[in-house]
Amino acid sequence: MRHPIRIQNLGGASAIILHRPHPNVQALERQLRAIGLTVSQAWPDLGPEALGADFIFFDADMGHDEQFPWAPGESPLPMVALIGSEAPGRIEWALRAGAHAQLLKPLGDSGAYSALLIARDAFDAQRALSVEIADLRRRLDERQTVVRAVTLLAAHGAKDDAAAYGQLRQMAMAWRVSFEDAAARVVARHTAGQDEDDRRDRG
Amino acid sequence: MGAKRPIKLGVLYSRSGDYAVLSEASRAGAMAAIAAVNADPALDLCFQPVECDPKGNADAYGPLCNDILAGGARHVIGCVTSWSRKEVIPVLERHGGTLWYPLPYEGFEASDHVVYTHACPNQHLLPLLDWVLPAHGPRGFLTGSNYIWGWEMNRLARERITAAAGEILGERFLPLGSREVGRIVEEIRHARPDFILNNLVGTSSYAFLTAVQALGRDDPALAPGRCPILSCNLTEAELPALRGACEGLVSAGPYFRPAEGGAFASSIEAAAFAAVRELARLLHGRPGAEAASLAALLGDGTGGMIDPVTHHTALPAIIARVEGGVFCALKTLPAMPGDPYLTHPRPAPAAPQLRVVS
Repeated sequence: MRHPIRIQNLGGASAIILHRPHPNVQALERQLRAIGLTVSQAWPDLGPEALGADFIFFDADMGHDEQFPWAPGESPLPMVALIGSEAPGRIEWALRAGAHAQLLKPLGDSGAYSALLIARDAFDAQRALSVEIADLRRRLDERQTVVRAVTLLAAHGAKDDAAAYGQLRQMAMAWRVSFEDAAARVVARHTAGQDEDDRRDRG
Repeated sequence: MGAKRPIKLGVLYSRSGDYAVLSEASRAGAMAAIAAVNADPALDLCFQPVECDPKGNADAYGPLCNDILAGGARHVIGCVTSWSRKEVIPVLERHGGTLWYPLPYEGFEASDHVVYTHACPNQHLLPLLDWVLPAHGPRGFLTGSNYIWGWEMNRLARERITAAAGEILGERFLPLGSREVGRIVEEIRHARPDFILNNLVGTSSYAFLTAVQALGRDDPALAPGRCPILSCNLTEAELPALRGACEGLVSAGPYFRPAEGGAFASSIEAAAFAAVRELARLLHGRPGAEAASLAALLGDGTGGMIDPVTHHTALPAIIARVEGGVFCALKTLPAMPGDPYLTHPRPAPAAPQLRVVS
């Protein structure tokens, strides 16, 4: 489901413009200040203060990976590419660097506000998806554990696989953990302590 | 003092069409200020108005503004709707011109080429909602003309009303100029809101206000004392067009004409007057400044009413109700800077008046 975009809370946010001194930068800085952000400039490299900023605007024309204190595409904050030359190689680099939105140079009177909202929304969506994907991937990796847990429960009292499966679900609910986590506990107990822990499991 | 330097000033108002009443009020303020500047011996300049009339056609604004600027003017006053303002901004950019925009608008803009001398939402809509929610209740009905003013004002109202645990009972738009208000009025009759936010413009607004006024006579729950109609752009300028269907309307604005009479007939007139006077002040004693960009004009620490960062002005917010055909202030907030992107902290709404029960 699509989450509502965050429109508020731009006031007092900080932006760093990673671009050599240029009238384009002044125009962008004016727009950002009018919106209510604090702005600083950096060139040629982003300093450690970038980690405390809320937005990065970076030059896509003369930019390169070493300018950023993080791996390409792994920025901890929304990034907006400032694109002058619309050459495919530069656009490809800007995307790989992790652009969440872009502004075309020459920069004039408008565009910064929509770039801020779009970049933040894309960043939020990307981060939410990453968390979800990591969780799904972990659960996928646990499939084998679930099969082992069901087999163990079937061998220790459950009348068949379906009953063992139901028992595992009950355990997960009672322990308030995911199905996969419950399976991992069952497997760990049966392989380490064997039956001596079973009574506690059911408590 | 020697001869006054003549400076061309574009005057861009639709003198006919759906919102001509607003245009005329604003134009009157601009023309009065031009006359005052020209007659002021203390100023070393005089304005030569260059007038164009787009006749209410949004598509005519860009070409006419282009004509004005190509004719040697650098500054233009006018545009009434946000639609027309957005039409002229690309033209202003091309010529390095400046628009002095003296009407209330929906915010979310701070153009390098525009000065905003009337109110934006932190100066009209938000104080109005702060007043109405505790005073009349949390259930609102939203209306608006079908363009950026209506859309954005209602979006913002929805956001703030919802955040205050209120409820939106309906939201309806009409094309600019439409008088087809029957359906909306029927919905309001059934929805029975605590208040109605009217972001309709011009003739639509007059038809709507007249119809709701009639509704309130039939149904006391919808009479203005119980369920007020709120506007952020309704001023004295439009009361004659309502032909009496204005009693109880509540409006927010920076100025309302006192019953005993005031310098201006409405805030629409006052804001246009202030814009032209401020331009004259910025140009006075600076020969050649009429060719300078707005940034250069505002940049030398000249002070004055225009915020050099946002190009907005600090204005008081007055909530006023029409009583006996005159706006009477219900609440007055001191001047606050325009905050077009609503990114600056707002003064906390006044605490509800609770009394210790003993």
